[in-house]
Amino acid sequence: MTVSAPPAAPSPLAEAFGVPEEQDHSSETYVQLVWRRFRRSRISILGGLMILWLGVLAVFSDFFSPTDPTQIDMKATFTPPQRVHFIDAAGNFSFRPFTYLQVYSFHPETLEPVWIEDETTKHYLQFFVKGYEYRLLGFIPWDRHLYGAPEGGSVYILGTDKLGRDLFGRMCAAGRISLALSLFAAFISIVVGSVLGVVSGYYGSWIDGLLQRFVEVVQSIPALPLWMALTSVVPITWDPFLVFVIMASIFALTIWTVLAREVRGKVLSFRETDFILAAKEMGASDARVIFRHLYPHTLSHVIVVLTLQIPQIILAEAFLSFLGLGIQEPLISWGYLMRDSNSLETLGVNPWILSPAAFIVIAVLGFNFLGDGLRDAADPYAIA
Amino acid sequence: MSNVPPVTAAMAAPAPPASEEIILEVSGLKQHFPIRQGLLQRVVGHVKAVDGVSFQLRAREALGLVGESGCGKTTTGRSILRLYEPTAGEIWYTRPDGEKEDLAPLSDREMKAYRRDLRMIFQDPFSSLNPRLTVMDIIGEPLVIHGVAKGRDKVERVADLMQAVGLNPNYMGRYPHEFSGGQRQRIGLARTLSLSPRIIIADEPVSALDVSVQAQVLNLLAEIKEERSLTLIFIAHDLSVVEHVCDRIAVMYLGQIVELDVTDRLLRQPAHPYTEALVSAVPPADPDIRMNRIILEGDVPNPASPPSGCVFHPRCRYAEDVCKTDKPDLTLMADGRLCRCHFAAELELQGIV
Repeated sequence: MTVSAPPAAPSPLAEAFGVPEEQDHSSETYVQLVWRRFRRSRISILGGLMILWLGVLAVFSDFFSPTDPTQIDMKATFTPPQRVHFIDAAGNFSFRPFTYLQVYSFHPETLEPVWIEDETTKHYLQFFVKGYEYRLLGFIPWDRHLYGAPEGGSVYILGTDKLGRDLFGRMCAAGRISLALSLFAAFISIVVGSVLGVVSGYYGSWIDGLLQRFVEVVQSIPALPLWMALTSVVPITWDPFLVFVIMASIFALTIWTVLAREVRGKVLSFRETDFILAAKEMGASDARVIFRHLYPHTLSHVIVVLTLQIPQIILAEAFLSFLGLGIQEPLISWGYLMRDSNSLETLGVNPWILSPAAFIVIAVLGFNFLGDGLRDAADPYAIA
Repeated sequence: MSNVPPVTAAMAAPAPPASEEIILEVSGLKQHFPIRQGLLQRVVGHVKAVDGVSFQLRAREALGLVGESGCGKTTTGRSILRLYEPTAGEIWYTRPDGEKEDLAPLSDREMKAYRRDLRMIFQDPFSSLNPRLTVMDIIGEPLVIHGVAKGRDKVERVADLMQAVGLNPNYMGRYPHEFSGGQRQRIGLARTLSLSPRIIIADEPVSALDVSVQAQVLNLLAEIKEERSLTLIFIAHDLSVVEHVCDRIAVMYLGQIVELDVTDRLLRQPAHPYTEALVSAVPPADPDIRMNRIILEGDVPNPASPPSGCVFHPRCRYAEDVCKTDKPDLTLMADGRLCRCHFAAELELQGIV
């Protein structure tokens, strides 16, 4: 950013001795240029923060989860979200937040289960508390948690599911699969779409014709039934990781075509430019022309398509998992967590089990906001 | 190597041919592009962009290739550099060791070795530099591709090259968009020089620049040509620019060379009616001289279906019946010039006064 410093403000040294100011002659890097333009868009920054927040929650889900999200507790099924208090029933302010013990009873008329706060038993929240043991980032053994209730108490800020597991903790953990799956599917889509797009655009002629017809065929297949058909044939007994990879591939299967088209169009328009001809004139190999001169110019489009496709995948995955066709336990995703709400009675009585939808909304909005800013920022070297 | 008279200033006046040694000989070069139509992309004809171009390039000379837009001069240059697959013809290049090699049938891989010796300067300094690479990467790229230099060594050579073309080496970390048109053309020139070529094909190197900058770049080009004893093919549509730089000029019309002669004589006593018309369009330096411009009728014919006989006959004011039927050859005249006209010896044509 020193380059654009206005000459109107010479350094004291330059002023005093007439010494020409030492200028930084190197230019900004690509990342710097993109960042400078990206910063201007507030909404994209917000989008980025939303994604970042979800990402942090997902990666450190165990840290943010007060109880083990896989631990079944039948005494706490369908606990509604617990209120965190600062002022107790008597009106005394407490600097430390606390929860009341929740007790279970039945509604005298309808006999519905009702949870009541027992205002005599306070449990002060503990921070950086010792809890169940887990492995941070998958390999560092740790047992600290951001917050937790002492022995005998509980803090279910978003309630529990039908097996009494803390919903917030499970949402954080589910974010791992939901985000990783969509990123992985988008990655596959980028690789396949870019390779086929570049090949199609660069080599042209019959290869282009063939590939474009193939893209059309793939695009004409209705995506949803195909996804449903494919996910339903994945055996439930398979290794969860394998299922994850297969699911990602299934989602990537139909969306790579958008990217391939986009990349092809860009490559076609850049293929005939003088700097590509100049590269050939220097004796550059096809690989060099493609990777150094052609593909980087499509990158801004790839990024934009990507930020539009990731939300699509998140939604599709949530949809299928909600129907019970996608992710299966022990893997959990946001859509899977909402499965319990597919019966109207359960949903009516326990509306909080829909809360994973909030994470989906945040993720989809976040990626769309982010894409908005990236679209404008990603190509700072537009040819004049 | 024959004796070369020492050239003092940049070539203000056309110097005598620098040498009789032939460094490049193009014979019968044809570059036809297929026209495809319909669903099955059937070939329905060919655009004959270059249709039988032959000339000899002498070592250390500057040969101008002029003609109006679409006459095939750029295509000729690119065919010689094998950026296209020539349809027919031979391109005999004399290597530094004296051996001759026909470049026309070479594969891309075989051609790579010769790309060090034969280089090109592009017309548009804006589109011919990759906007995502720094000047350092642009100028150094040929060095990397041909495995000549990398790392520290590359930086030093790029700095030398930048100095040679009048750029501040401190700016090598910058991107092309931070430079003016003239500076960008200098970057292009440095890139061309990076492998110490022997022949440079300059494809309208100044036509995209401001007139005030044109002279600077032309002088630089002439200077560097002398310094490094380069051979130059200078493609242009502007005779006043070519006149300034070139020893000999080849005039092209519809994919063919119609006249090739020493610059001075070609301009003062053209032998071909097309050259006469072209020369008449050069504005004289003295504003008092009345221009006697010859306005050609009609447009350049479609190179997909050139006229019968002499390709110039529909627009030629001296055309006779024989011109419509018989194709004239590029013939060597008594005074050493080459001309493709049935009446070359008889016509009295006007040149620059």
